[in-house]
Amino acid sequence: MLQPSIPPVEPRPSLNTAAKLNVGDRLLRALYPPRANAWQLRWLGFAMLVLAAIFPWLGGPFYTRLAIESFLFGATALSVDILLGYAGLLSLGQAAYFGLAAYISALMYLHVTQSFWLVLVAVVTAVAVFSLVLGAVAIRAKGVYFALITFGAAEILSKIAHNTRAIGGSDGLIGIPVPRITLLPGVTIDLQNNFVFYYAVLGVLVLIYIGTRRILDSGFGAVLRAIRDNSDRVPYLGYNSFWYKLLAYIMAAQVAAVGGLIYPLLRGFVAPHLFGFEVSTKAVVMSLVGGVGTLLGPLAGSVIVTFLESAVGSYTERHLLVLGVIFIVFVMFLPDGLIGLARRLSASRGKAAP
Amino acid sequence: MEDLLGYLHVVVLPQVIDALIIGVALALVALGLTLIFGLLDVINLAHGDLYMLGGYAAFMLVGWGAGYWSALVLVPILVGAVGWALEELGIRPLLPRADRAIVTLLLTFGVSLVLRDIAQVVWGTETHAVAPAFTGIVSFAEVFVPTYRLFVFGIALIAIFATWWLVYRTRLGAVLRATAVDPSMVASFGIPIRWVYGLTFIYGCGLAGLAGVLLSPIYAVFPTMGHDFLVMAFAVVIVGGMGSIIGAVVAALLLAQVQGLASLWIPPVWAETLVYGVMLLVLVARPGGLFNRLGEA
Repeated sequence: MLQPSIPPVEPRPSLNTAAKLNVGDRLLRALYPPRANAWQLRWLGFAMLVLAAIFPWLGGPFYTRLAIESFLFGATALSVDILLGYAGLLSLGQAAYFGLAAYISALMYLHVTQSFWLVLVAVVTAVAVFSLVLGAVAIRAKGVYFALITFGAAEILSKIAHNTRAIGGSDGLIGIPVPRITLLPGVTIDLQNNFVFYYAVLGVLVLIYIGTRRILDSGFGAVLRAIRDNSDRVPYLGYNSFWYKLLAYIMAAQVAAVGGLIYPLLRGFVAPHLFGFEVSTKAVVMSLVGGVGTLLGPLAGSVIVTFLESAVGSYTERHLLVLGVIFIVFVMFLPDGLIGLARRLSASRGKAAP
Repeated sequence: MEDLLGYLHVVVLPQVIDALIIGVALALVALGLTLIFGLLDVINLAHGDLYMLGGYAAFMLVGWGAGYWSALVLVPILVGAVGWALEELGIRPLLPRADRAIVTLLLTFGVSLVLRDIAQVVWGTETHAVAPAFTGIVSFAEVFVPTYRLFVFGIALIAIFATWWLVYRTRLGAVLRATAVDPSMVASFGIPIRWVYGLTFIYGCGLAGLAGVLLSPIYAVFPTMGHDFLVMAFAVVIVGGMGSIIGAVVAALLLAQVQGLASLWIPPVWAETLVYGVMLLVLVARPGGLFNRLGEA
């Protein structure tokens, strides 16, 4: 008898819904099941949200504004995670979109309009066009080239901003007016009020997070993860990985641009360093610290890194040194970030006391 | 016609010669990058900062009265040693990881930030001048070139040819190329792979150090000099083809000319942007760069 001694496969409840999907999707669902500890992430997200909701009552205006800044950089960190954690693309130039959005919005408030919504449309359009062109070239070039091309593009933009007098040169643009944002007719958001500003930005960030999470938990995200894990096999399932990566890149660019869109309203100025490697670097450090591929980690990481930098900044001016050391420590010893560390700790405790 | 010839002679030719000298120096930095990438799949983002360390080491040695010539010999060895430490302590432990291309890139990025900030702490943000080994100007056909620049050109050319000879004409080079293709096969012949990796790192970083010494009297020394140079060096390596020795040299000469000539007519920043544009165009036409990788030639 040639009966193979394979234990019977336990029927999984998810298979019923999977039956409606096409063959490729079903295969991907089987290869990459939804994360087993998604509920842990959900609790962490809930805890973070509660903490964020009560924070303005605990900290003073300085820390409230610092928290807003950390949210804005958090969006950029989230964009790094979309690319690195899901598509397996390391972008060292997300500052390009942060800076682009910041300059466009600053220039428009200064010279064109006070309408937030018009600025939003302009930024979304410009970022979409720029990311489409750059992304198409960078993704076609594959692998590590991608990191270098994105890095170079941000550097070049920073240099152009630095040397163009018309947009302020090395001084940047100052005195950007804070507009009143009309949400609905009769309902305006007054950003002069720190509390209003804080909750508005928090709301935007939560919306972005939920939107990103939903998109990446869909079939689109599954294909991206498949591309990340085995880019050679995916084309055989009938997926063109180029378009998936490009879409992810454009999406990440828009997410990174959100930070830049709001930054001038918070600080009242823009400067060439917003394009620079320091912003891109911070974004990568933040996602490394929190945990790549979790989406929540980079948001936690951005709060941690921003407050850490502020605390360190009162003792020393050596930001880069601190960032660099965090970089090295996390790459060498904690590659899955703080969330990964927490997971491993809880897993080992589970084993010790079953 | 006379005017055009005169213009070419007085304005364009000196710029071409200048760009040629910058090109070979750029090739030195790019060679180190491309060798390391070709062998290990590692993109060393700290490479520009090793070049910076080379500049500062020259500044210190010359300042202590060691003289330019001893700096020229000692600095590449010192920078090579730093590179070796980086490989031994940082990169080797990461090599077994599946995503080693990305994690080593991140690691060297962190190292780059640390080195740059350390340079600021130790030497300050101001620019330091290094006295050239000799002054004076050579002229031929009424074009004047500082003697020191000619010397830089000569040394860089020697180093480039030495690298080519080492990689393509020696037994050591054969081992290197074989390791780039199939490390486990080479290891099964009893060749200690870790020494091949280590030596390549020392050599590549030593080249960056050499470039640092050579260029320090021309551009002076400051903490972000490596960072500014790195974007250009990466453009070179990408255009030439990651891991290609000939590609790095050809692309360095080409891009230096593009930048040099373009800055005659447009502002220097835009010349740099143009270089980047050329890089993007090359990538559109040939995503892998102009030449093949090490070992695939």
